[in-house]
Amino acid sequence: MHEYAFFLGCIAPNRYPGCEASAIKTSAKLDIDLLPLKGASCCPAPGAFGAIDLRVWYAMAARNICLAEDMGKDIALICNGCYKSIYEVNEKLKHNDDLRDGANEVLAEIDMEFKGSIDVWHLIELYYDPKICGVEKVRNSVTHPLTGTRIAPHYGCHLLKPAKERHFGDSENPMWFEELIEALGAEPIQYRNKMQCCGAGGGVRGYDLTQALDITNEKLINIEEVGADALTEFCPFCQLQYDRGQLEIAEKFGKTYNLPVLHYNELLGLAQGMSPDELALDLHGVDCKPFLEKIL
Amino acid sequence: MAEDNKEPRIGVFVCHCGTNIAGSIDVTAVKDYAQTLPGVTIADEYQYMCSTPGQSKIKAAIADYDLTGVVVAACSPRLHEPTFRVATQEGGLNPFRFEMANIREQNAWVHMHDRKAATDKAKDQVRIAVAKARLLEDLIPKSVPVEKAALVVGAGIGGIQASLDLGSAGIPVTLVERWPTVGGRMSQLDKTFPTLDCSQCILTPKMVDVGRHPMIDLKTYTEVESVEGYIGNFDVTLRRRARGVLTPEEAEARGIVGGGCNGCGDCEEVCPVIKSNEFEMGMAPRKAIYIFHAQVMPLLYTIDFDSCVKCGLCIEACGPDKRAIDLDMVDTFETVKVGTIILATGYDLIPIEGKREWGYKQFDNVITGLEFERLICASGPTVGHLIRPSDGATPMKVAFVLCAGSRDNSGGVAKPYCSRFCCMYSLKHAHQIMEKIPGAVPYLFYMDIRAFGKGYEEFYYRVQDEGAKFIRGRVSNIQEDVQTKNLHVFAEDTLLGRPVDLECDMVVLAAAIQPKADADSLRQMFGISKSQDGWYLEAHPKLNPCGTTTAGIFLAGVCQGPKDVPDTVAQAEGAASAASIPIHMGQVDLEPYFAVCIEEKCAGCGMCTNLCPFGALDLVDREDGTGNGKVMRVTEAKCKGCGTCGGFCPGGAIKMQHFTSEQIVGQIDAFLLEGEQ
Repeated sequence: MHEYAFFLGCIAPNRYPGCEASAIKTSAKLDIDLLPLKGASCCPAPGAFGAIDLRVWYAMAARNICLAEDMGKDIALICNGCYKSIYEVNEKLKHNDDLRDGANEVLAEIDMEFKGSIDVWHLIELYYDPKICGVEKVRNSVTHPLTGTRIAPHYGCHLLKPAKERHFGDSENPMWFEELIEALGAEPIQYRNKMQCCGAGGGVRGYDLTQALDITNEKLINIEEVGADALTEFCPFCQLQYDRGQLEIAEKFGKTYNLPVLHYNELLGLAQGMSPDELALDLHGVDCKPFLEKIL
Repeated sequence: MAEDNKEPRIGVFVCHCGTNIAGSIDVTAVKDYAQTLPGVTIADEYQYMCSTPGQSKIKAAIADYDLTGVVVAACSPRLHEPTFRVATQEGGLNPFRFEMANIREQNAWVHMHDRKAATDKAKDQVRIAVAKARLLEDLIPKSVPVEKAALVVGAGIGGIQASLDLGSAGIPVTLVERWPTVGGRMSQLDKTFPTLDCSQCILTPKMVDVGRHPMIDLKTYTEVESVEGYIGNFDVTLRRRARGVLTPEEAEARGIVGGGCNGCGDCEEVCPVIKSNEFEMGMAPRKAIYIFHAQVMPLLYTIDFDSCVKCGLCIEACGPDKRAIDLDMVDTFETVKVGTIILATGYDLIPIEGKREWGYKQFDNVITGLEFERLICASGPTVGHLIRPSDGATPMKVAFVLCAGSRDNSGGVAKPYCSRFCCMYSLKHAHQIMEKIPGAVPYLFYMDIRAFGKGYEEFYYRVQDEGAKFIRGRVSNIQEDVQTKNLHVFAEDTLLGRPVDLECDMVVLAAAIQPKADADSLRQMFGISKSQDGWYLEAHPKLNPCGTTTAGIFLAGVCQGPKDVPDTVAQAEGAASAASIPIHMGQVDLEPYFAVCIEEKCAGCGMCTNLCPFGALDLVDREDGTGNGKVMRVTEAKCKGCGTCGGFCPGGAIKMQHFTSEQIVGQIDAFLLEGEQ
């Protein structure tokens, strides 16, 4: 059993409880134990906070890391935005004395100190890593394969970029997420501009919704071009943008896609036999039923 | 000449090298320090020791102070050791009574901002050099005869030109080519910039010449297996790969008069095995018995034994008169003895599919420049009709991505250097599609257009006037429209400052080039160096671009670094000239740094003979008339002075000339004891 401090983030527990539930339940079947990280705050959001005051971003993220350091566990998380904040701040503070001293000055006020004793992982990379889990183990955990479905992968930006500060290799046209989708019995499809942003990140959604939706719309056009039964990602914020965004696009641009959007953990949950209710799929903006009918 | 038992009298000369050395080192302080060292009779300094007045100082001091040794503290011995050796000799000393302290490359240039530390280090370096100079001895170089023959590896345009020059100068040449035909990359090209001559048309006369030149022994489908020896006396073992087909000469040797391959092609027609043709970049088929194209030299079929099923249909087709096919042929080996060697091994494209954002090998209509050459070439797989691989349609909008993987520091397959001919061939490609396809428009995405050669800039203007579109910006991303298979090319137009999304029918990547996959193992076989980027290293980037740091081995063409056809031919002619010099001289002097056996100490144990990596040592009977025991003998021409035997000999009976134990210990003492004895 590999144990991690589970950093929840904000969007999963508040908007998509199925993301949270499926993360805990699917990983348990893969010998990964996600322990509650008590007292955690917002990561904080890299675009919204980082763009305004980096010191706040460093200090708040460092505080979350300190909680896991106290547990003596690496952090696992399920959101690309959280990954950028927690992973990147952890790496920066580990390797830059000035930044670490600055953050610790703030943390000292609440009797905490960043030590740099743990690592930060996205749950999806733990699933893919054969040392921890690996594609085969994921495949073997599947009891209800998603046979006959065509699923569009969305990697999101913050996990892979900037590529030089990450460890995922090719960020221009990676294929490893496709392997994980294929392990569920589904067919991962390729579409134009796969690596484009969902439109939400970097504060764009908050700053200019129309611009953000325009990007999302382009992605949806490209996916519609090749045809897909669902889109999957591993970031609740991307999920929000694609899912709720489709309702907003319908309203603003008058275009409907009805493309169900599921976090990979939700897909894996279905493939492992979790019920749609257990995954709170009824809370999604776009109706997941057409997809569920295909697989159930 | 100084006598060996004389008290050492050393002259030390410290060079300013303008401000190269004096800018970081207190030269006068070094000179004053040298004057205090034991054995130093005279110390001096000068602006440029390598200049005529500088050298005169050395000569005068040898006479005036009756010196036994000379030390110059200046640049790298690679640069000026020969200069100062000559000066030492002209002053009346044996040239090996000279020692150099490199206070420029190994000191001034690396400690540019720490004058005190640099000066202290220079004093150390001079003290160490003086310690060695005190113990230097007279040495006499051995000269060895040079075999009047040369080897050229690679029969592209570089190797062909070098061979023709050497052969025409009366030197027998062995020209080795891995492919079944000569011609190399140039034979794959359609036209050559900026004159637009047909590449094959200007190349084939040379291919034919090289095939029938009386002084050139052309060996195609042959690779270098191993190399032994040294300048003047290389023994190169060649592997003649089993070709399965006999030449008329080989047939005659087997008693088949009037037989052998005449290139009729009957065998090819019946061969049932189909493989992809590497000459056509995999865009056309060939059989298991094949020639690459109609103009191959020699016109001789080759069997690809990796795919041949040995059905024997070709033997039947060939008939009882020619009997050219031997399916049981095996690789054969032969050794050639040559005096000098020219390497002209060429290049490959980088695996541009590694730049995933451009979609090569993901999208049908993204091709490389070399594939474009074959598609536009009248003798290519489409008979010169440029078509889209996806549907065979004629492309009307073609995007060219320049610097595709060149001048790119992003790592992976990308290269930081300029590949030097892609700008020009892309301009040529642009011209060609406008010429061949009325109404077609080329779009060139570029960083800079490097039109540096004679007539190149003029060609650039011509292509602009013809209507080619130039967009200054690097391509960030290429996407395929899944329905139409058209491509969207994304870039920033940095002149207009706005993003570009160009939909086009086809994209041509001007992929960067890199050394051949096995360039490194070949390099090690020949004992030459490479530069950081993997290309073979020339002896000097400006003043000796054809030579290598291994005497007798020369470079021609792209194996030394990216260059176009004119530059390759120029370098090939330079290499041929340089390689002919030792041959015409008839002999070369070897540095006298070989091992010497001190017979009275040698116990004849023979341990050293097994250790020698060059087979230079033997055990022989003593010649003292007693008939008692053995003694080691050195074959001086084979000895490279590596010191393995000298370091090992349990009796201390092997002396490494110019690097004696006493000299090396003296240097170590001088360094560690800081001048104390």
